[in-house]
Amino acid sequence: MRPIEKYVEAMENKDFAGLAELFTTDGILCDYCTNSSNQREYHIYGREAINMFFRNKFGFRQYSILGAQVVNDEQAEFIANFGGYNIMAIATVRETDADGFIKKLTVRPK
Amino acid sequence: MGVYAITGASSGIGAETKKLLEQDGHKVINIDLKGGDVCVNLATEEGRKTAVDELHRLCPDGLDGMICNAGVSGACGNLELIISLNYFGTIAIARGSYDLLQKKHGSCVVTASNTISQGAGRMDIADLLNNIGDEARVLELVRGLDKTNLSVGNSMYVSTKYALARWVRRVSASWAANGVRINAIAPGNVNTAMTATMSTSAKMALNALPIPTKYGLETLMDPSEIAEAMIFLVSPKANGINGNVLFVDGGTDALLNSEKVY
Repeated sequence: MRPIEKYVEAMENKDFAGLAELFTTDGILCDYCTNSSNQREYHIYGREAINMFFRNKFGFRQYSILGAQVVNDEQAEFIANFGGYNIMAIATVRETDADGFIKKLTVRPK
Repeated sequence: MGVYAITGASSGIGAETKKLLEQDGHKVINIDLKGGDVCVNLATEEGRKTAVDELHRLCPDGLDGMICNAGVSGACGNLELIISLNYFGTIAIARGSYDLLQKKHGSCVVTASNTISQGAGRMDIADLLNNIGDEARVLELVRGLDKTNLSVGNSMYVSTKYALARWVRRVSASWAANGVRINAIAPGNVNTAMTATMSTSAKMALNALPIPTKYGLETLMDPSEIAEAMIFLVSPKANGINGNVLFVDGGTDALLNSEKVY
């Protein structure tokens, strides 16, 4: 599986630990969709931070994705739900290391 | 040695703070519902008045520090108590001890919560508390809410703590100009009697709130971690710090709001 597919799978399953393991130890996840839902952008730095952050978001039902489609080697589209507010989003794996771990992933409104 | 007063020092963070201050040789007056040097109910006007009167009787020369720590969680099932104790009880004691603090150029610390930055509060309630300050009206409003709903209780809790932190910011300049520093502490989830007696669902919610310094440990913060920060803030070592809301949460706020520098 490509990193973008693994990302979608972890998000759909609300697997915060699995999601974190896709990233390098200093991997970065930036989500710019949140401004549309009156929340701050999410910028999460580091594998453990990604684990803790999404454990919180999934646990409090503040984040989920629906209808995900992988559109190319680096990108997937889905409806991102932020605490009940839906935004059409596109996730992009911007950079990976030699072992396929994600160094940077962004999520932006489509 | 100094003279300090703490509300809610019979258990939890307050008790730990009292213990540490006493170990350093300070005199500490505990104002609490039970087991205090002054036993009063700070959710009532009568209790607040008695507490302030007693403080003046016990400390005629003034106070070095006032730590307003008494409060209940959002899971207590009593929305009126959350409003009356957490907000109105706290500011009544802070205001009531202001002249005593002035006498010794003392300092006040108020316990808020790190949940104030997580968006779960009701800003309309916080605005009513800060801008209107009519306890009877706010109580009438919350009586119409579902007290059995945990998220409603939590939103009231966060609203009171947000309003407290904002109240501290608002009064801090004038208070400092008159010789009294005031700051707020925003603790993360702490192992206390309050959290120990929570329902299973409330505990699950607590554990989903990450504490980076406790990563992988499935534990909450220790009361001493909060107490040490309180003692620092209330001490002369923090003379340059005023009007601050200090997050003592092991990094939870930084994790959830990394881009919010100010």
